[in-house]
Amino acid sequence: MIGPPTAGTPVSARPLAEMIVEIASHYPESRSAVLPALRLAQERYGWLPPEAFREVGEALGQTPAYCEAVASFYDMFHLKPVGRHLVEVCTNISCALVGAQQVLEAFESELGCRAGETSDDGEVTLSTVECLGGCGWATIVAVDHRYRERIKPEDVPAIVEELRGGD
Amino acid sequence: MATDARQLVLADAGSRDLTKLAEYEAVGGYQALARARAMPPQAVIDELIASELRGRGGAFFSTGRKWSFVPKPEQNPNPHYLVVNADESEPGSFKDNEILARVPHRFFEGCLITAHAIESTHVFVYIRGEYLGPFEVLRAALDEIGARQDILGEVTILLHRGAGAYICGEETALLESLEGKRGQPRTKPPFPAIQGLYASPTVVNNVETMATVPPILELGAAEYGKLGVKDSIGTRVVSVSGNVVNSGNFEIENGVTTLRELIDDLGGGIADGRELKAVIPGGSSTVILRADEIDVGYDFDSLLKLDTAMGSAGVIALDDRCCMVQLGVRVSEFYEHESCGKCTPCREGTRWMTAILRRLEAGDAIQSELDLLLSVCDRINGKCLCPLGETAAVAVASYVDKFRAEFQAHVDGGGCPFGDDSPLHGVVAPVAQHTLRRTAEAPA
Amino acid sequence: MAAELVRLTIDGRSVQVPKGTGLVETAMAAGIEIPVFCYEPRLGPAVGACRMCLCDVEGMPKPQAACTMTAQDGMVVGTALSSPKAAEAQRATLEFILVNHPLDCPVCDKGGECPLQDLTFRYGAGNTRMTFPKRTFDKPIPISPLIALDRERCILCYRCTRFSEGVAEDGQLIARNRGSQSQIATFGDEPYRAPFSGNVVELCPVGALTSTKYRFEARPWEIQDSPSICGMCPVGCNIHVTTREGKVKRIVSRNHHEVDRGWLCDKGRFAYSHLDAADRLADPLLRVRRRGFEELSWERAVDEAERMLRAAGSRIVTVLSGSETVELAYGLGKLLRRGLGAHAAMLPEEIDIPLEAFRLPLCAIAEAEVVVVLGDEPVVERAPIVDLWIKEARRNGAEVLYELDEERVRGVTRAILVWSGPGGAEVAALAQRLGLADKEGSGAFYLPATANGRGVADAWAAAADGEVENPDPIGLLIVSGDEAASDPNVRALAERAEHVIAIAMFRTVVGDWADLVLPGTSYLERDGAYVNLEGRLQRLRRATIPPAPDELAWIAKLAERFDVELSPHPSLVFAELAEIAYGGLPFGEVGERASLPPPAPGPAPGARPIDSSQQVVARDAGEGLRLVRYRPLFSGPAVERVPELQFQRPQPEVELSAADAAARGIGAGDEVTVRSNGTSVSLRARLSRELAPGVVRVARDHAGDLEPRVEVSRG
Repeated sequence: MIGPPTAGTPVSARPLAEMIVEIASHYPESRSAVLPALRLAQERYGWLPPEAFREVGEALGQTPAYCEAVASFYDMFHLKPVGRHLVEVCTNISCALVGAQQVLEAFESELGCRAGETSDDGEVTLSTVECLGGCGWATIVAVDHRYRERIKPEDVPAIVEELRGGD
Repeated sequence: MATDARQLVLADAGSRDLTKLAEYEAVGGYQALARARAMPPQAVIDELIASELRGRGGAFFSTGRKWSFVPKPEQNPNPHYLVVNADESEPGSFKDNEILARVPHRFFEGCLITAHAIESTHVFVYIRGEYLGPFEVLRAALDEIGARQDILGEVTILLHRGAGAYICGEETALLESLEGKRGQPRTKPPFPAIQGLYASPTVVNNVETMATVPPILELGAAEYGKLGVKDSIGTRVVSVSGNVVNSGNFEIENGVTTLRELIDDLGGGIADGRELKAVIPGGSSTVILRADEIDVGYDFDSLLKLDTAMGSAGVIALDDRCCMVQLGVRVSEFYEHESCGKCTPCREGTRWMTAILRRLEAGDAIQSELDLLLSVCDRINGKCLCPLGETAAVAVASYVDKFRAEFQAHVDGGGCPFGDDSPLHGVVAPVAQHTLRRTAEAPA
Repeated sequence: MAAELVRLTIDGRSVQVPKGTGLVETAMAAGIEIPVFCYEPRLGPAVGACRMCLCDVEGMPKPQAACTMTAQDGMVVGTALSSPKAAEAQRATLEFILVNHPLDCPVCDKGGECPLQDLTFRYGAGNTRMTFPKRTFDKPIPISPLIALDRERCILCYRCTRFSEGVAEDGQLIARNRGSQSQIATFGDEPYRAPFSGNVVELCPVGALTSTKYRFEARPWEIQDSPSICGMCPVGCNIHVTTREGKVKRIVSRNHHEVDRGWLCDKGRFAYSHLDAADRLADPLLRVRRRGFEELSWERAVDEAERMLRAAGSRIVTVLSGSETVELAYGLGKLLRRGLGAHAAMLPEEIDIPLEAFRLPLCAIAEAEVVVVLGDEPVVERAPIVDLWIKEARRNGAEVLYELDEERVRGVTRAILVWSGPGGAEVAALAQRLGLADKEGSGAFYLPATANGRGVADAWAAAADGEVENPDPIGLLIVSGDEAASDPNVRALAERAEHVIAIAMFRTVVGDWADLVLPGTSYLERDGAYVNLEGRLQRLRRATIPPAPDELAWIAKLAERFDVELSPHPSLVFAELAEIAYGGLPFGEVGERASLPPPAPGPAPGARPIDSSQQVVARDAGEGLRLVRYRPLFSGPAVERVPELQFQRPQPEVELSAADAAARGIGAGDEVTVRSNGTSVSLRARLSRELAPGVVRVARDHAGDLEPRVEVSRG
């Protein structure tokens, strides 16, 4: 009875391979651990560089190519480097209906980068995302994977300030 | 005036913190599990069949019958698996999010009852990767019952987080993903009940379905059967969002509350003094309704008569500023982005739909392209490996069907009559942005 | 046991097939084509991805993918021929497939032999309704020196990735991204480096994956295909040799379902350009004192050869490569044995392994319950296709053992023994002891080191009229073939011989140690027959004219001078040999897809031991690990002359069992030192489950001077 480690928990000092092998032991077939293993690797590296695929593949008996094939299918895995913080604005119907585009534009102007880009200081990557399942509390903005609800354009400067000022 | 008075799934969650085991037990939690375990597995299945509970994920298939398709252990000695689909990703639906966050123990209780019924000791909860909050609630709840042999029994519950792919809400894609692969749907048959996870007998149920099982066993099928209407027995947690004053989840009796009541009463009506223009009744995959079509009970049959569906119970209200072509663009972009790429009609067709819709919105399309859009939708529909492409085609075609004049005006006027008055104007969708996950070879 | 039959109706035609037959095959049985792109039964269960095969099945509201359905009794099916629903579904699919396809057929290598082109011709709309720019990608991308990828042409049928994942199990070729951005790729910029990579070119139903060596070389209507046999290893895969204006342009498979199932390894598929190597010999060479080598006419060359043969008399030793045809080996044998009493011959390895009683077709491996792989050398390096059969067996649920477990073998009906490596003399005795001859579906294979070693040994033996005596000193050493000529042991022998005649294709192989060099030919240039590792006699056809006369022509001329009757025609030589060795089998009856003789109780007639230079590796226990130094698949005179194959040559690796690695604290990919008495080599560790503990493997290229007992340590 386990769950894969939580995002946001301190990055463990344990070797990645060891942690992956342990996760795999909870599944009837070790390949099932590919997703949690990739998530762990991404927590460690910030994104998924080629070494991450090699390490995950090695630990689970898969080729690095296989791991890349899997990772590239899922939106939450980053195959390119991203900023220290991730701001994801839902622009699907319900959020868009109450002004998600204006929220996105507020982030763009505050961060000085377009959706899909990282701010010049390398701190924040801004992205649009599809429905986050928070339509009743639109606009949803996920900041480092934590949902912020009912975000309006006027809330944006404070969020950016928090990200730039904080740790 | 309709209210969400009769609550089963979310019962007591308003007055108590049911994420705590003690609180849940104080309202009778895990007693249905004890009752179920005192029954032979087949009796539990029979009770569910009698209750006429139908799956709350969207397909609305009889839950009890689905369980009954699983071979008995003596017929198939492979392990039997219960996989819970907590990959809620349908635009407009956020009910499972709230159920997991507020009544995790009721959810687990349903899982354990189901595991007993299908004689499984392995439960996998596939929760969408973005649901970090609900995941943490589940983890904490699981930690609590982990210390309680009387609750968990021999069952192992494993929380498995997805990683961002709408298609993994499709049950066979979910199983592929859970096996550590790209989440592409499998052909059916074989159905999961026969060959599911690791090619073993598997039941895949939705979160709300699981959370409905304990109240059914508490009430008994007969009592539960008094709720709702024929073919849509029981309650349903409905997500209401869009241009309403009071968006949120409401547990209603199926068919007793009307779609208009969901918007006007529970949803508090249309915000900013605008008029209601259209309603997406069951998540983005369903056929749209005009404002004059919504005086119907929110149930399977009533919506079927309108050629639409409750789907995953995501009601989206759109006000009179909204451009239906822009809606088409945004919805089509969503499906193009989420198409898994396995079958041709969905992969190529959704992209083609988006292209035509963008030309329409920009005023670049000629008359024949409007017909072409419908033809492309028609050519996708019924040809795909799984429902994703089909629903995209049906949904978008319904916008043209119900608001033909508006589409025509885009052609005739060489542009959008709504322009940036519509909140859907110029919305940047992930498929249109230079996304992070794309690799170098992909075009911008 | 007869399968249950079902009757169904397709387009109004009633057809009866065994229950479980796929709907596509059922339609075929009724004479109806259901078009497909992704469907390829050799790749495992159907995936239903391309939707080209949509049919109208009575009782089903939506069109159904025929490839994923099986024939059921009473089923009523309408294909596009009779059902408007199916026809519309098919038109829809084809339109979607073509919507982003560049339609650059005039400059596409696949044009003229392209399923997409053919099906568009047959079912396509003839116009386009598309009003937006097609998807574009950088192209072509070399995914390896052998294969170019054009992502715009790709229709994402996933045949190639399914092959990589589910047949070759190399996991190198993948689908990346999702939806309409999906693309075929390798990991990062790394090449698709795997022994069977070229099969994806043949599997691709469009021009997305093409052979870099064949690109822009020919149009399908300018080429000729000769059905022949690959001569690169003992499997003897059935091939088509494609030529244009007399030049070999490519090699493609010619599915023999018992032997190769239509798969080829990259050596067999791509090594053909050795024919045009820069150092290919066309004229005989004679070493003239102080002047080096001089070209001479064939007439003079035959005179010189005659002179050397007469001078040596019976003191001749012949070294054979095992790549000669049976006719060539018999011809040479007849000349030397009957004309000169020179009986001594050498093959690269022990070949007298009486496995006829345990004979099975290779495809039987796929049905086995237990496969035992012994002999220590990697199967894929000796007989690559056998590795695919073993992989299939494993996927089918077979247990594949790399150490003998007699109880396990005795406990099942279908057990197969595969001996991969030298020293196979044990395998027949072992098979006998395990009773494999008595169980249907059980049997044993020995994987020889050479393509036709068995056939050559039999043919040499068939030419006998006296006993073998090893001459000392050697009056004349005859070295037949480039493989033998490039063997250092043979060169050492040449030092001791008074004279040397070498028959070789390549100038640099024979160096300066031969007195007379006679240009040789390749298996692609010969008519004749090979015997493969199953014992199957298969026919080679000359696909292209060699730059020099073939060996049998001048051997026959020489034979005449020694009053030995020998035809220069392979068919006549075969007839003579067949009387002795093959029960009088007529040449014409070998057939295009040769059959396998049934198991025979004893050794085949004519199979007699001949001298062997093989030194069986000492298997006595000793300190440390036993080093197996193997000849890699991608090596040898032909491969060395194909620049595009160089990336496939072995990596500097040592292969260890997981147990041995763990005991030494070695992880996969670690740098390790392999040591033996006084010498050491630095290599990268690779962990293998296909290796018995106590054994380590290093390709010959990287084994340096290591001795048979080694120790491995990190760093």
